[in-house]
Amino acid sequence: MSLLQEHVLLRHRDIPNIRDIHVYTAHGGYDALRKALNEMQPGEVTDVVKASGLRGRGGAGFPAGVKWSFIPKDVKPVYIVVNADESEPGTFKDRELIEGNPHQVLEGIALCAYAVGAEAAYIYGRGEFRGPFRGLQQAIDQAYEQGFLGENILGTDFSLDVYTHLGAGAYICGEETALLSSLEGKLGQPRNRPPFPAQVGLYGKPTVVNNVETLTNVPPIVRHGAEWYRQFGTEKSTGTKIFCLSGHVVRPGNYELPLGTPLRYLIEECGGGVPGGRKVKAILPAGASAPILPGDKLDLPLDYESVQAAGSMLGSASFIVMDETVDMVWAASKMVHFFKHESCGKCSPCREGTYWMEDVYHRLRDGHARPDDVDLLLSIADQMDGNCFCLLGEFSLSPVRSSIRHFREEYEMRVKRMGIGD
Amino acid sequence: MVSLTIDDVKIEVPEGTTVLQAARMSGVEIPTLCDYPHLTPYGGCRLCVVEVEGARLLQPSCTLPVSKGMVVHTNTARVREARKFVLTLLFSERNHFCMYCQVSGGDCELQNAAYEQDMTHWPFQPNWDPYLVDASHQHLVLDHNRCILCRRCVRACGELVGNFTLGVKDRGPESIIIADLDVPWGESTCVSCGTCVQVCPTGAIIDRRSAYLGHEADVERTRSVCIGCSVGCGVELITRDNRLLRIDGDWDAPVNEGILCQIGRFLALDDERERIVTPLVRRNGTLKAATWEDALDYVAGRLKPLAGKKGDGIAALASTRLPVESLYLFKQLFADKLNSEMVTSIEEGVTTALSGKVAQELGRPFEGSLERLKSADCVVAIGVDLAENHQVAGFFVKRALPNGTKLVVIDPYDNQLHELAHYALQPQAGTDYELLLGLMSAIVKSGLSRDEPTNLSELAGYDPQVVSQVTGISADTIRAVARLIASSQRPVFVYGKGVTRASSPEVLSALIELARLVGALTPDQSAIIGTKGQANSLAAYMYGLDKPFEVDGHQAVYLALGDDEPSRRLIKRLKGAPFIAVQASYLSPATEMADVVLPVEMWAEQDGYYLNLAGKLQKAHRALVPPQEVRSNVGVLKALAARLGVELEADWRKSLKKRAPINPVVE
Ligand SMILES: Cc1cc2nc3c(=O)[nH]c(=O)nc-3n(C[C@H](O)[C@H](O)[C@H](O)COP(=O)(O)O)c2cc1C
Ligand code: SF4
Ligand code: SF4
Ligand code: SF4
Ligand code: FES
Repeated sequence: MSLLQEHVLLRHRDIPNIRDIHVYTAHGGYDALRKALNEMQPGEVTDVVKASGLRGRGGAGFPAGVKWSFIPKDVKPVYIVVNADESEPGTFKDRELIEGNPHQVLEGIALCAYAVGAEAAYIYGRGEFRGPFRGLQQAIDQAYEQGFLGENILGTDFSLDVYTHLGAGAYICGEETALLSSLEGKLGQPRNRPPFPAQVGLYGKPTVVNNVETLTNVPPIVRHGAEWYRQFGTEKSTGTKIFCLSGHVVRPGNYELPLGTPLRYLIEECGGGVPGGRKVKAILPAGASAPILPGDKLDLPLDYESVQAAGSMLGSASFIVMDETVDMVWAASKMVHFFKHESCGKCSPCREGTYWMEDVYHRLRDGHARPDDVDLLLSIADQMDGNCFCLLGEFSLSPVRSSIRHFREEYEMRVKRMGIGD
Repeated sequence: MVSLTIDDVKIEVPEGTTVLQAARMSGVEIPTLCDYPHLTPYGGCRLCVVEVEGARLLQPSCTLPVSKGMVVHTNTARVREARKFVLTLLFSERNHFCMYCQVSGGDCELQNAAYEQDMTHWPFQPNWDPYLVDASHQHLVLDHNRCILCRRCVRACGELVGNFTLGVKDRGPESIIIADLDVPWGESTCVSCGTCVQVCPTGAIIDRRSAYLGHEADVERTRSVCIGCSVGCGVELITRDNRLLRIDGDWDAPVNEGILCQIGRFLALDDERERIVTPLVRRNGTLKAATWEDALDYVAGRLKPLAGKKGDGIAALASTRLPVESLYLFKQLFADKLNSEMVTSIEEGVTTALSGKVAQELGRPFEGSLERLKSADCVVAIGVDLAENHQVAGFFVKRALPNGTKLVVIDPYDNQLHELAHYALQPQAGTDYELLLGLMSAIVKSGLSRDEPTNLSELAGYDPQVVSQVTGISADTIRAVARLIASSQRPVFVYGKGVTRASSPEVLSALIELARLVGALTPDQSAIIGTKGQANSLAAYMYGLDKPFEVDGHQAVYLALGDDEPSRRLIKRLKGAPFIAVQASYLSPATEMADVVLPVEMWAEQDGYYLNLAGKLQKAHRALVPPQEVRSNVGVLKALAARLGVELEADWRKSLKKRAPINPVVE
């Protein structure tokens, strides 16, 4: 089920066994790299990516080409760090790319490295990716053998080494600066920004940090050009995006769609609707991190601007659908628990704020809630807002505020049912 | 320069200044907890937030760099509310029942911050969970119940000391400060430098000895200089009612910038020696209390007839822990006035005589300042274990390692820095010279030398291949180390007793030649650092108190021991001396042998100057009043001189620079 003739990213769904380098090259694989190395200056690669409008797929949606252009020309070495930490609840797209279409990921890395003048790239995967990374390593080895990685790639004087590294299982290590610390062997906690990684990144050197999916978009962009790419998506949200669909749908899974596709299409056409014909009560568009959308937003076009205008964020596009059986206080408390559990503990507002929010949720659950507990939750959220060291702390406010905004009566009921716990 | 406005005051500050620093420069106080001036800004606690016009969110001032035209408000209602929230979280996080805490009532930065925000209570339930108290450490206690997770201790241990003992376990609210991989602190790699206790803002890390003995408001602080070794760290002596409670590193001291080692911080406090509080004179075989008159007369009476006698006259020894003033009077009295030929220090010049000889031959100082260590990109330590003595210099090296500084340790014997070194070279004992020449020969061959070798013909015989036979170190290693040293931009050489103990200066001369070859010794700068023995070893050298001590038919020995402890070797050699006078603070095997004991001030009781290993002259101040009958070292020497009818000159400065200096003396 797709709006696309063929996939741009999930090409393994159209071409069996494309994870093998011979199949990949037989279908135009590494042509983009060849084209870049033979016909383009590094700066031109950056320019094409800029012109394509490609935005970061890791969450923040920052234009990839613009990010690359921040890398200073006169400082060496430059590093590429590929964010494969993929720890947002409900997100499983990078894994499918790594498992199904790894050479497109590697080709994207090589193009990025050529564009910014890097000679080493690190792929940082979440700790649980031991299996997928075994396959990825095979793909890397193949690419070395075939001369697409390593010394003097395709006979040019461009060289690139690619390393993989697995984290130890902390959500915070998906945050780019915490990831860099972890990669350096330090405690996985975020660092101050500025300086941004483009200036002071891995081992203090200029570093591009990009998501797996972001880089996977690059080979088709370089191969077919920016105009071709812009035919997908909207004016400001160009291209296709992998939507991770889970929760109360008949067919959960990854779906690659042009940005701007309506939410209804994703849930009903791709996902087959809600099981048992029940109604959609709420949708989480970006895992646990972005505000909940109420179920009446099904006609929302899924691009960065529209989702933001609807009061939420597209983020990594991990759609978790909740039907009318879901208790929203419970759902919010699960997410708050997640953030408390994953808070790195560096800054006091996040470390303790999430703790106290969860404490209030426990009272709501256990039937000990006090009349002013809902306002207490909101006031903790207001105080934390904008005062956490990194976005993890800020993310934790989304489920609290949005569930109260849209479903306050469920909270009030809990308060009224004093003495009656779950 | 960047101009900005903080609380309606316009100021200009250098680029790169943080808003917090800028505020402090303009006299505006912003409360902080995780920030510490000597540590890298961290931005964790969020107490220091300020409002910046044009920014939607509050900004942490400790990490925010100033920018042009910035308008900052440090004390708006919004800021105050945010601060109260942070404090509320921190107070309710763990047990902060202040009345049971030793820092409560003035010394707790958390409590002080809460008072400043007019907090009377906090609206959240306190967390009733009990946390561990780690009391396994010899000197320190870590009470997790009081910890606010600011990580100042963790950062100090890593950034300032380079020890990386402290860290954090787990995440979020479960975060716990741990030692190593969560072992009891007392069993960890902690080197007891105590830097962590000095930076902890709450009562979480306390020092066993001074805890509960007095708040900042009750105590006095006196600037002094540690006399544990020749680094000469600046310290602050914390005293109350004439009792030494604690020793802090002096953050303003240029030599150590606040850090100390275990010796400097704790050793003086653990001193259990018995104090001498009155002069003693031996009568009928036992030492009896005497008046100063009697004791001094007795000594003078015995010394006077021996004046000017060679061989069977007076032998005089001084401790290298005595202040410069005392050493100068001592030297004048015994060497210049009484004309004794055996006037030296109890160290007998082991750490200085050889270097002095080399300096004399070179005709100029060849050592540089300790500062060089802080910017070194390659350190070569030879014949010195900087984890054992001169530890603060060792900390400078250790903390630079994560930034890429390379370390080469050359020592035939066990050396605790071996395990941190990029190259730990253990040549066969006695082959340092060959190794150094091998390194030079490899450098010259590789074309990396920055200066002409003076001993080119000699080097020919020291090809790495040949040298490896003698030293037991492979030729490849020798070449690799040579390349490492020669290709670094700011190499520094540190040498110690392993080099100076030798009978001839050839190893030291080779080291100097090596340093010159790689540009570490130029006509106006040197990156060679020699560790000396004690606090005033270098001053003792400058006054010529550096020769080997031999008692051979001397009729009297005068031992100016001060608060030093005599070595067993020294005691053995004193046996059989017909008359021994000891000027000392504590009872010791030396005073037991003495015929007269003259009680003097100890370190913390006297004003005085010390010349550190790099020639830096520093003043220590009196922090304690000595017992009534105890006199100053200077006073005793003067009184003795008066009785012997000689006049001593007091201006020690001039003659301090007379001898060929190993270091340029810096005042
Ligand atoms: C708490 C937190 C978790 C994050 N986790 C991930 C992640 O798992 N994968 C990812 O690609 N980006 C993650 N990000 C976003 C990264 O910080 C960063 O913006 C991204 O890797 C940049 O790549 P992009 O521009 O290609 O999206 C996370 C951010 C935060 C604040
Ligand atoms: S908001 Fe603070 S505690 Fe939370 S993850 Fe970020 S830095 Fe860590
Ligand atoms: S005493 Fe020194 S070495 Fe030990 S933990 Fe504290 S700072 Fe680290
Ligand atoms: S022990 Fe002290 S310095 Fe260390 S984190 Fe806790 S409160 Fe901060
Ligand atoms: S003092 Fe600035 S965040 Fe702690």
